[in-house]
Amino acid sequence: MQLSTAEETIQRLIFSLSELEHLGQTLISGRSNFNISSKTYLRITLGTLQVTGGAILCYQSTDDFLNITASTPEVDVPPIEIEPDEITSLLECSFVDLDNPPDDLQAFIDRNSESLNCNSIHHLWVPLKIQEEFLGILSLGKFLGRSKLEEWEQELLTILAHQISIAIAYSRNEERIQSEKFRLFMLAESAPQICQLLQPEDAAEQVVHQAVALLDANVGALMFMQPEEQNLELRYVFPPDIMDSEDEENENKSNLLVPLNGSENDTSELQSATSVEMLANVVKEGRTHQCSSKADDLFGGRNLMAGPIQGRDGDILGVLVVGDKEERGGSIADFTFEDETLLDSFAKQAGVAIENAHLHQEALEARQLQAEMEEARKIQANLIPEKLPEIPGYEVAGYYEPRGPVGGDYFDCIELATGGWGLAIADVSGKGMQAALLMATLRAGLLSELSRVRAENKPIDMKSELLDMAMILNSLLYVSGTEEKYATFFYCHLNPDTDTITTLNGGHNPPLIVKSSGDIVWLGEEVGGLPLGMFPNDMVPLIAKYEAEQIKMESGDVIIFYTDGVTETVNLDDEFYDEERLEQVAIDSCKNDAAYICNNIHQSVIDFQGDADQFDDLTMLVLRKQ
Amino acid sequence: MANKFDIQIRAEKQCAILETAGYLNDALGERLSKEAQELIEKGYTQLVINLDKTALINSIGISILIEIIEVLEQHDGTLNFCGLSATQERTFRMMAIAKYAGIFPDEKTAIANF
Repeated sequence: MQLSTAEETIQRLIFSLSELEHLGQTLISGRSNFNISSKTYLRITLGTLQVTGGAILCYQSTDDFLNITASTPEVDVPPIEIEPDEITSLLECSFVDLDNPPDDLQAFIDRNSESLNCNSIHHLWVPLKIQEEFLGILSLGKFLGRSKLEEWEQELLTILAHQISIAIAYSRNEERIQSEKFRLFMLAESAPQICQLLQPEDAAEQVVHQAVALLDANVGALMFMQPEEQNLELRYVFPPDIMDSEDEENENKSNLLVPLNGSENDTSELQSATSVEMLANVVKEGRTHQCSSKADDLFGGRNLMAGPIQGRDGDILGVLVVGDKEERGGSIADFTFEDETLLDSFAKQAGVAIENAHLHQEALEARQLQAEMEEARKIQANLIPEKLPEIPGYEVAGYYEPRGPVGGDYFDCIELATGGWGLAIADVSGKGMQAALLMATLRAGLLSELSRVRAENKPIDMKSELLDMAMILNSLLYVSGTEEKYATFFYCHLNPDTDTITTLNGGHNPPLIVKSSGDIVWLGEEVGGLPLGMFPNDMVPLIAKYEAEQIKMESGDVIIFYTDGVTETVNLDDEFYDEERLEQVAIDSCKNDAAYICNNIHQSVIDFQGDADQFDDLTMLVLRKQ
Repeated sequence: MANKFDIQIRAEKQCAILETAGYLNDALGERLSKEAQELIEKGYTQLVINLDKTALINSIGISILIEIIEVLEQHDGTLNFCGLSATQERTFRMMAIAKYAGIFPDEKTAIANF
């Protein structure tokens, strides 16, 4: 059946209307993506108007380019750059005949003549717009069997172009809504997720990853404050290879420290000149800043936005950085005000997560330290004698009170195979496990040396023996301890047969002798050597060599060995207990037995201290000749 | 998490599997979309996208996945996802992707459910 022209026209219109209805249904279903539907829109337009070819060019406002979304025939043309004034000119036109364009568009057409040099596609343009927003161009090629469109065809073309504009705008809005929906969901979802992470490293990694995805960024970093140094330390960066560099100068970027002092500039603007200034301004002002300095090589000169990570009390813990926000098609967009708000909200959650992870870490470390201290306390408890031996003709008493769970003091009274007795008192520097281990080393060394003396069981020069022992113990402690680990040490060898004591002082407080006559002697005051383990053996003679001293004990004589915790006990007036008070209490109580003297001195120290804190261990050993 | 973009493609009878690795953003998404369209044009209308090695997806990645679903629908095809993390699965359900595509724990189950 032959159709008349009018019938053909009606058929074309019915086809066009039914296709448009179908597209409209798809459009409102909320799943219409213009990238996909554009081919159908073009097909309907070309079919309805009987045009051989054409294209739909969509405008990307982020980079001022027109991209071909659909074309018949298919062509591969690079994006076409368009200036704002050219857009204004286009918006003023209903149609643009490319053979006879308006003067103000001639330059644009000439500039892009290579891309537009396809008569089968680019013959007549219809600007695509919603109100005054430019969305793109519907381009038509040559018309079949006629040189121009009829008036009614032009009206139809205008309607179709408007439908395409609505589809583009709707698709973009839909994309925007989907994107916002995604971001809000991610924001809500990320909080419990990152707050569950208990390792600070894991929390840092997740915070950066979530921020990057949330803000459609391509790079991200988390920097932590080093408040004392006024530095920001890079903790995690995404992608990891952003810091890779063959450049020697940038080799240590993974350990990046950004100094904050003097880097900030006073600005009410959100935009900082350089990334370092941006970071400094975020810390200084506690709000989001941006930076797009391409000359700046921190993070590879990206388009950056940074926000503060704050703890519960408002302290700035660090800075969260995201960079290079991408758009569909790969172009890089500026961060918007909404992005800043989103980063701010996320950074608040991240602050809680990071603080939680750090608190958890601290709790773990405290628990570990507590366990270590308990172990040290057990070690030390085994080193202090529970009960002192009885020495015929003598009384001996001791007192030990550590300041914390683990002290650094030691005393002992050892029966020797020779029939003699060894009395030792020491104060190891520091506290905790290291001090306990050093003390154990000292005690083991001492017992080993004393058993060596015992085994020989022959007449010996005790002074010489003790000096040798001092050097051996010094060497042992020097190699066992760290630089600041040493022990003050006082050793006293008692020969009960001759009532002779031979003493060795390794930097310890001189013991106090209260003679039965009431006279006071500070033992080893003039012959004190260096603390054990402070210097290597070859340096000891150059500084202060060890010396031994011998004295004879008489009936009623009392020796009080003590650590500095006794004489350096402080009261609320910041006064020291000092040697004079010790002397006085010792004199007052020396007619009593050793246990009484020991208790009396301890009580005197406690009374003196009053409500003041105890800063050091309190250790005493009292020997009295009956 | 590594950021090395990669897409591994395996074909099994009528079905093709696209396994992504790295951040599913515009760059990886566009590659995925191109590969998917080529497979559809070759006649593969049952696609599996395995996201096991993709821990991070942004909104552009999501919109590209939606686009692939729409293209497949035009060709009466079906898309199944597998290897999703719990968060990704919740995201896909919230973004209505799960209404138009299947979500399965692994490739074997995803293939078996076309």
